[in-house]
Amino acid sequence: MSTIWAIYKKEMRVYFVSPLAYAFLVVFLFLSGLFFYMGIAMTGEASLRVMMGNMAVSLVFLLPILTMRHFAEEQKRGTFELLMTSPISLSSLIVGKWLASLSLCIVMLLGTLLFPMVLAYYGNPDWGIIFTTYVGLLLCCGAFCAAGLFSSSLTDDAVAAGMIGVLLLLPFWLIGSAEGLGGEALGSFLSQFALLPHLRSFSKGVIDTADLAWFAGFIFVFLFLTYRKLESRRWR
Amino acid sequence: MVEVSQLTKRYGPFTAVKGISFEIPQGQVVGFIGPNGAGKTTTMRMLTGFLPSSEGFAKVAGFDVFEDPLKVKASVGYLPETPPLYLELTVGRYLSFVAELRGVARSKRLVRVGEVMEQVGLTGWENRILGSLSKGYRQRVGIAQALVHAPKVLILDEPTSGLDPVQTEGVRKLIQNLSGDRTVILSTHILREVEALCSRVIVIDQGEIAADGSLESVREAAGGQHYRVRFEGADGPFSDTGALAAEVASLDCVSRVEPIGEGRLAVWSDQDPRPDLAAFAVAKQWKLYDLHVHLPTLEEAFLALVGGEA
Repeated sequence: MSTIWAIYKKEMRVYFVSPLAYAFLVVFLFLSGLFFYMGIAMTGEASLRVMMGNMAVSLVFLLPILTMRHFAEEQKRGTFELLMTSPISLSSLIVGKWLASLSLCIVMLLGTLLFPMVLAYYGNPDWGIIFTTYVGLLLCCGAFCAAGLFSSSLTDDAVAAGMIGVLLLLPFWLIGSAEGLGGEALGSFLSQFALLPHLRSFSKGVIDTADLAWFAGFIFVFLFLTYRKLESRRWR
Repeated sequence: MVEVSQLTKRYGPFTAVKGISFEIPQGQVVGFIGPNGAGKTTTMRMLTGFLPSSEGFAKVAGFDVFEDPLKVKASVGYLPETPPLYLELTVGRYLSFVAELRGVARSKRLVRVGEVMEQVGLTGWENRILGSLSKGYRQRVGIAQALVHAPKVLILDEPTSGLDPVQTEGVRKLIQNLSGDRTVILSTHILREVEALCSRVIVIDQGEIAADGSLESVREAAGGQHYRVRFEGADGPFSDTGALAAEVASLDCVSRVEPIGEGRLAVWSDQDPRPDLAAFAVAKQWKLYDLHVHLPTLEEAFLALVGGEA
């Protein structure tokens, strides 16, 4: 537990002493502002429904950039050797890093709380739906961070890791539109993996255990793959 | 303190370390020497628990490296070949992160970091960003990081590689001060370093131990102390140094003679044979050009052991 905390603090410090976190926050807040405006202009509703869908898609491209250096840089600079010759387990290293990137996402989501406040000033939004929307976005961030960490473990080139992360996440977004293709059986099988349907109920104010399980499974699978990948690197 | 038995590491079909065994008692400073790619780093990585072995076992500070890796890691300080630094952190933050990682209690962390910074000569540098430090200072931070949890065993992979002579001397002095009751294993291919620091040498070549012992015994392996002599005949140089060697070998005081070049001989003897050799040259009316005691350097010993030319 204490080693997870040590890793977590280190990662947060590295985030905020480098320009990456700030640049990331600026880009994300700018985009979500844009999506917020578009959502209001298009629908005239006092809701975050449109913004949420677009934010999830932009995170497909943004979050791998946030997580790309995690293992890639450690491997490249030799600090992975420092971590692995310290009395900490690989799983606490991975969990510490995942929590740190998730925390940055929370900071970023807190920045977007301005939008529901604007809604409340001019209209009468449903706070329950706004709450579940944020739960959905947070789960989405957690899932993407896990996938991003996995892609970072695949190579010691951070930029390549970022690209791989985007490529890894794209199918989960695109597969939603492939439902109609390749027959009903294949379509409904593929749609199980689609991301947006699982987010949709959150934006309607519903927290469905099936969706929670989907995200939890996604996070677990990718953190586990990261573990296996890093462990196997030691054997070669 | 360190016990290694039949330790083997294979990378696919390539065997980097071939069943090496040795034991190091507490407080000994051991130098691993060997050419590049001999298996020094791989061996060290196995001892620190970074790499799993393919075969064999290793025990460090009383714990099995492969069964109890966390306990081993807690009692080993390790400096890899390039110091593992987070270049965006400050010296102080970095060292306290490593201290926390290695389980130094929160209340002692600050004191401990101050102590190691003093030990490596970095007092007053805690707010410097690691990325702005020169190579010599980065190396010092690397050593400080290995020391921060007061480990019983210190493993240093080429601690002075890439440093200028002044920095090298500084790091050597530092290592000298660190030993004591601490067990130190350091790898290097600078042999003067071993002479300055180590009481024991393990020569590794192609994944095997080529020699293991005190500096003396490794020198012994290259012939030990002997005498070098160069004669010339009354009417010009000798054409047959082998015949000359046979003649010199007939002397009572000489136990072994080896020709090493035109008119040049290496002579082994229990007592100093120099007066006898001189008298012999006079009796034969040879010219005596050179006669001296020869103590092989570690370089010669090393080259003799790893199959280079002496």
